[in-house]
Amino acid sequence: MTRLLALWTKETLALLRDRHGLAALFVMPIIFILVMTMALHDAFMPGAAIDVAYAIVDLDGSPHSQSLARRLGKTGSFRRVADPVTTDAARADIRSGRYALALVLPKGFGERLLTPAGSDGQATEALTLMVDPTLNPALQLAFRNQTSAALGMLRADELTHSAGKLFGLPTTARPAERDWPDEIVSTAVQNDRSIRPPSSVQQNVPAWLVFAMFFVVIPISAILITERQQGTLQRLAAMGLPFRFVLLGKLLPFFVVNQIQAVLMVAVGIWGVPLFGGEALAMPSGAGLFHWWLVAAAVSLTAVACALLVASLAQTTQQSTIIGGVGNILMAAIGGIMVPKFMMPGAMQTLAEWSPMAWALNGFHTVMLRHGDFAAILPDLVKLLACAALALAAATWLNHRQTA
Amino acid sequence: MLKVDGLAYRYRDAAAPALQDVSLSIPAGGVYGLLGPNGAGKTTLISLLAGLLTVANGDISLNGQPLSAARTANPRAIALVPQDYAFYPMLTVAENLAFFAGALGLAHGERRQQIDAAIAFARLEQVVGKRAEQLSGGLRRRLNLAIGLLGRPQLLLLDEPTVGVDPQSRSFLLESIAALPASGTTVLYTSHYMEEVEAICQRVAILDQGRVLSEGTLDDLLATAESSAEIELDQPLPPALAERYAATDLGHFKFALFFRSTVAVARLLDELAEAGCTVRQLHVGRQNLEQLFMRLTRRSLRD
Repeated sequence: MTRLLALWTKETLALLRDRHGLAALFVMPIIFILVMTMALHDAFMPGAAIDVAYAIVDLDGSPHSQSLARRLGKTGSFRRVADPVTTDAARADIRSGRYALALVLPKGFGERLLTPAGSDGQATEALTLMVDPTLNPALQLAFRNQTSAALGMLRADELTHSAGKLFGLPTTARPAERDWPDEIVSTAVQNDRSIRPPSSVQQNVPAWLVFAMFFVVIPISAILITERQQGTLQRLAAMGLPFRFVLLGKLLPFFVVNQIQAVLMVAVGIWGVPLFGGEALAMPSGAGLFHWWLVAAAVSLTAVACALLVASLAQTTQQSTIIGGVGNILMAAIGGIMVPKFMMPGAMQTLAEWSPMAWALNGFHTVMLRHGDFAAILPDLVKLLACAALALAAATWLNHRQTA
Repeated sequence: MLKVDGLAYRYRDAAAPALQDVSLSIPAGGVYGLLGPNGAGKTTLISLLAGLLTVANGDISLNGQPLSAARTANPRAIALVPQDYAFYPMLTVAENLAFFAGALGLAHGERRQQIDAAIAFARLEQVVGKRAEQLSGGLRRRLNLAIGLLGRPQLLLLDEPTVGVDPQSRSFLLESIAALPASGTTVLYTSHYMEEVEAICQRVAILDQGRVLSEGTLDDLLATAESSAEIELDQPLPPALAERYAATDLGHFKFALFFRSTVAVARLLDELAEAGCTVRQLHVGRQNLEQLFMRLTRRSLRD
């Protein structure tokens, strides 16, 4: 125990004096989380409100025209702004870029509601949609469709109401205020493939935490390679200190470093991201939090073991920085850290299954998004721990081989 | 104290063995010099003694006990001071000593005592709070040596302990090392500096190409029946004389000559006078270690 305590103290002091290592471990991932969460904010919100504004020029001012405007407003996809009073004012607003769409409801709209396109022989003034020509045609079409649907609903309700009165059928009182479309209820049917994709903060906090944890390769290899080059490892071996003690001496301090990283990154997700206008990270509680920590602990063991393997493979710190740094970036690119896995094509998603970072991220997402229990995270834990054991065994074997 | 008997070692994939049939006897209480050109097998021998390599052929025993058993019984019996600065540059002198004392497994009280003793021995009192990377070459060597003494070893293996230090530090280090046997530590000293070995070693072994070329007390090795002379003339040495005295041309009309006995010197001076050569300088006496070393290992470059 005296020996392990000495090793742990030495590693801690060495790390505390390695400013570059500390920056790579703590500052870099915080910046990544903040920047990437903000940058990818909207990319992670499928079906979110479209940030396109419209106005309604109600030249009719009838209950029917007001009802149509309300129905359109309830769809919520487009953002309604304060309405101009005249067509010319709307035109000027579109030209100046205040909004991109203006729907003109002509005078007599309410009266002519049930006789569209002059079906009674009299001319009916059409609804006019003024558009900014630079607006995405798909969005123009979407607005047109929404307007047609709302109009159709209004007309049908009006017809039912009038016909009901005519034939003495049971009808609701004025049904104009019903939500639209109330007939279609969305039900999410989840399975492994149709899992709700993570939000920006849910993707980025665990992703960059995993990335940062694997970056212990830089300080670990810097110290181990210096020890080998300077003959310190030889000296320790001559003192009768087994190599497994040297490995154990590095495992615990860097495990603690990884745990501090986890607390720090989660804190940034919960309190830091909202300061920049993002959504706060929601962490599981109770057993979920324990499962989250189990994943974090397994990721840490794998990261430290991989770092020890890289440090054993590399002969110089330059080599280890290249192998470790490039290796981490490749694992991150393949494993869905940089580009979320759900955005990847099928073949790439299969490839991602081979990156330990993907197992790590999947483990975190299982707990955070799917509220998975221990059995659900077990496959990822087993893969991570097996990888750690293999890397440690290989590192030990390589070091014995170098001294034999 | 330490006996090496018929030791051989070959590295994996190496064409030639690094050591073959090496037998040495290092008595307790002295400084034993291990000499050899680069690639002679010194580091391999030290690595085997330090337990970094496993003995495959031959025997090593410490105080009559096989080395592995002796190391198990007392892991601190043999300490290695590598040629490199084998400590942590980012830690202070005190932190380095505390770490290595801890790595040796010294209990708290003993640890404090050994650290203080090592600091006093290497006179590091003024720099205990300084980071090792800020120390001068001489102080680094002293720290390197101090760490080796933390476990109060019976045998201290020193690999080129004075490389890159100023004359003052070298003199201090040599004096300190020469004083170690008095406090119960036997020293195995390897160096390329012959005058250092001559100054502090009582016994010497000369190693080349994995074999021991010569081994014994320094006095015995240098006091051979043959005498050597270094002579400087005003012209080239006549070929007949050069052949008779196995002369080596040292350049600038300087020659190294060997005599069967010192009486031949008078005859040589007569012969030179007859040949019309003027002797500018003549140095006669027992060979020094460097001459012996160069003669045994030949003069060819090794790397």
